[in-house]
Amino acid sequence: MVDLTPHLLNGISLGLMFALIALGFMLIVGVMEVINLAHGSLFALGAYFAVFIMGLNLGVGIEARYAAAFLLAPVGVALVGMGLEFAMRRTYGKDPLYGLLLTFGAALVIEELIRLIWGSGEKQLSLPPDLSGAMLIGGFIYAKYRLYAAAAAIGLIVLLWLFLEKTPYGAMIKAGAHDSEMVRALGINLTRLRLFVFALGTALAAVAGIVLAPIWGVRPHVGVDAVVPAFLIIVLGGVGSFWGAVIAGILVGIVVAVTGAYASEWSLMSMYLLLIALVTFRARGLFGKKTALEN
Amino acid sequence: MQRRKLLQMLAAGAAFYGPWKVHHAWAQAGQKKPLVIGLTMDASGQFGASGTSERLGAMMAIREFNEKGGVLGRHIEALHIDTETTPATGSRVAERMITRNEVAFLIGGLSSGVANAIGQVAQKYGVVYFNSNSSSPTESGRDCKRVKFVWDGNGTNFAQAIVKNAIKVNGANWALLTNDYIWGHNTSKATRELVVKNGGRVIDELMVPQGTRDFSSFLLKLQQMKPQVVAAAVGGDDFRAMRQQVMQTKLDRQFAWVNNQQDWEDVYGLGAEAAFGVFGTTWYYRFDLPGVKEFVEKYKKTFPGMQVKNPGNTFYNGYVATRELLRCVEEAGTTNNIAIIKKLEGRKMSARDRMQHHDAWIDPVTHQCQQTIYMATYNDKPAEPDDIFKVLSQVAPADVVDPDAPKACKMASYQETPSYEQ
Repeated sequence: MVDLTPHLLNGISLGLMFALIALGFMLIVGVMEVINLAHGSLFALGAYFAVFIMGLNLGVGIEARYAAAFLLAPVGVALVGMGLEFAMRRTYGKDPLYGLLLTFGAALVIEELIRLIWGSGEKQLSLPPDLSGAMLIGGFIYAKYRLYAAAAAIGLIVLLWLFLEKTPYGAMIKAGAHDSEMVRALGINLTRLRLFVFALGTALAAVAGIVLAPIWGVRPHVGVDAVVPAFLIIVLGGVGSFWGAVIAGILVGIVVAVTGAYASEWSLMSMYLLLIALVTFRARGLFGKKTALEN
Repeated sequence: MQRRKLLQMLAAGAAFYGPWKVHHAWAQAGQKKPLVIGLTMDASGQFGASGTSERLGAMMAIREFNEKGGVLGRHIEALHIDTETTPATGSRVAERMITRNEVAFLIGGLSSGVANAIGQVAQKYGVVYFNSNSSSPTESGRDCKRVKFVWDGNGTNFAQAIVKNAIKVNGANWALLTNDYIWGHNTSKATRELVVKNGGRVIDELMVPQGTRDFSSFLLKLQQMKPQVVAAAVGGDDFRAMRQQVMQTKLDRQFAWVNNQQDWEDVYGLGAEAAFGVFGTTWYYRFDLPGVKEFVEKYKKTFPGMQVKNPGNTFYNGYVATRELLRCVEEAGTTNNIAIIKKLEGRKMSARDRMQHHDAWIDPVTHQCQQTIYMATYNDKPAEPDDIFKVLSQVAPADVVDPDAPKACKMASYQETPSYEQ
């Protein structure tokens, strides 16, 4: 147990970051029933916007620039997301394949735009000194930033949950996810609601990109590394389930961290094996709702 | 006339007219058919950044020859298709380039898995293929081919140059961190053998799956293992992510790191400290050798506004490999594959010409370019922002030869290799 403890704790912090990546994806799938394959590219775009803002000569310290990047980059990506939602409107009510193809195309376009604007080389997101460096926990050297990233993930998860559960707009989003036609019949502007959800989902992708940038690095194709776990986590947690995504993210983090330590060659494969095992016995995921066929 | 008959005739006409039109156009213009070189470099995936540099190196060599009038009076055209750091794509691209684009030669390879796949297709058709930058010892060992020539130093060469000294300086307890694919496996195998041979001990080996972005569990495990030296054979994007996380935890100061080979693109623009540990390379842009300054200037002039301001080892390999191929074509007076292969086997290249410290040669048995290997670390006193390597020593090619490669390499004879000429 002495050996396992640091890996379990590391797995939880890793899982919180996975959950953060999946939140925006889950929101868009849950409400709009659109699998947003551009989620990864928007994740990357968030990191690039942050690098850009950090590089501006604003005459302020690195802490202020980082705070500005953390707040403004998601807003920029949300605007891109809103543009994407405008483009998607013609696909609503049609074969889901149209939405899938459109977001896949958008992913390619965003990635190429990143290459054109910032080049294909590696970028680095500078951090305030207080967030960088290492610390000793239980005799192990651990990056301070990972603790910050896990804390940021917890904060964002709680904020999103409060927004969805405790505000009228959150109630509308949840109702929209449950029965969009009924929401429309009640006089709620569904078009505006969808636009807002897409903007929020893509802003969350950007936040995840900013938080993960100092760990994964910033490259045009870094989004590919994000979209696959995000997809896996929402299927594992149950499509549309908020806590399902969070718990599945933590579960994936623990499995990846523990296999990384004890059977390292399986560390990436382990998350897929977990999905196969779970879906075999519980096709709707951990917290997914029963379908009519199962009742 | 029956419709089926008409369609058959149209198809036959098109089949004849296509190639006739192309060749007829050249004949009418009184020009020779261009020499097409297929560039099989990764532009995306794990080695996308290095593949891009390698391609530019090849392009600069081709441009130099075209400025002199091409080769054998033929203009040289480069055809690039992204091999995506994926062996299956590499096979498909090579097959297409040979059968549809009628390329004369193939150049390019960063991932050893991709290079091996391209090499198999090239051997099937007899097309001379230059693996310009992949470094698995198997490329000039078990997977050697009559048509394939390997231009980079391999994992064994680098390990030969580093291991003995690292045991003496840093200690005998080693841990291996190995990218879970052919280059990683074979580089670690070579390192392990050399560690044991020199009185060291490998306490454990952690396999790193390709595509790993989070190294925290590996770094925790290393702390539990407490090795004196960590020998990492991790490449491309995986290495970049690992480096970032090692630097964050300051573990670069906790163990002695041996990073087999360090590609320029993997550390470029990240500051001198990003190049942590001791690592191998084959070339550096600040060598005080004849021709280096001019070469660097030419790069800047040919590719102005590049994000990578100075060329690195992958660009260099792409350039020297392509230049040598075109020289061989000129010398042979033909593009016939067997004639070119014979020109390349045992070929000697002066240190001055290659801008290295020792003469190089192509081993006729393994087809690997035997060249100077440099040991480097991060530069604590950089003369300019890009001056991130401090070259510690240079090892003559004869001292780092992979002794197992000739035994493992069983290549097809000339007779077994299909004749090919474009």
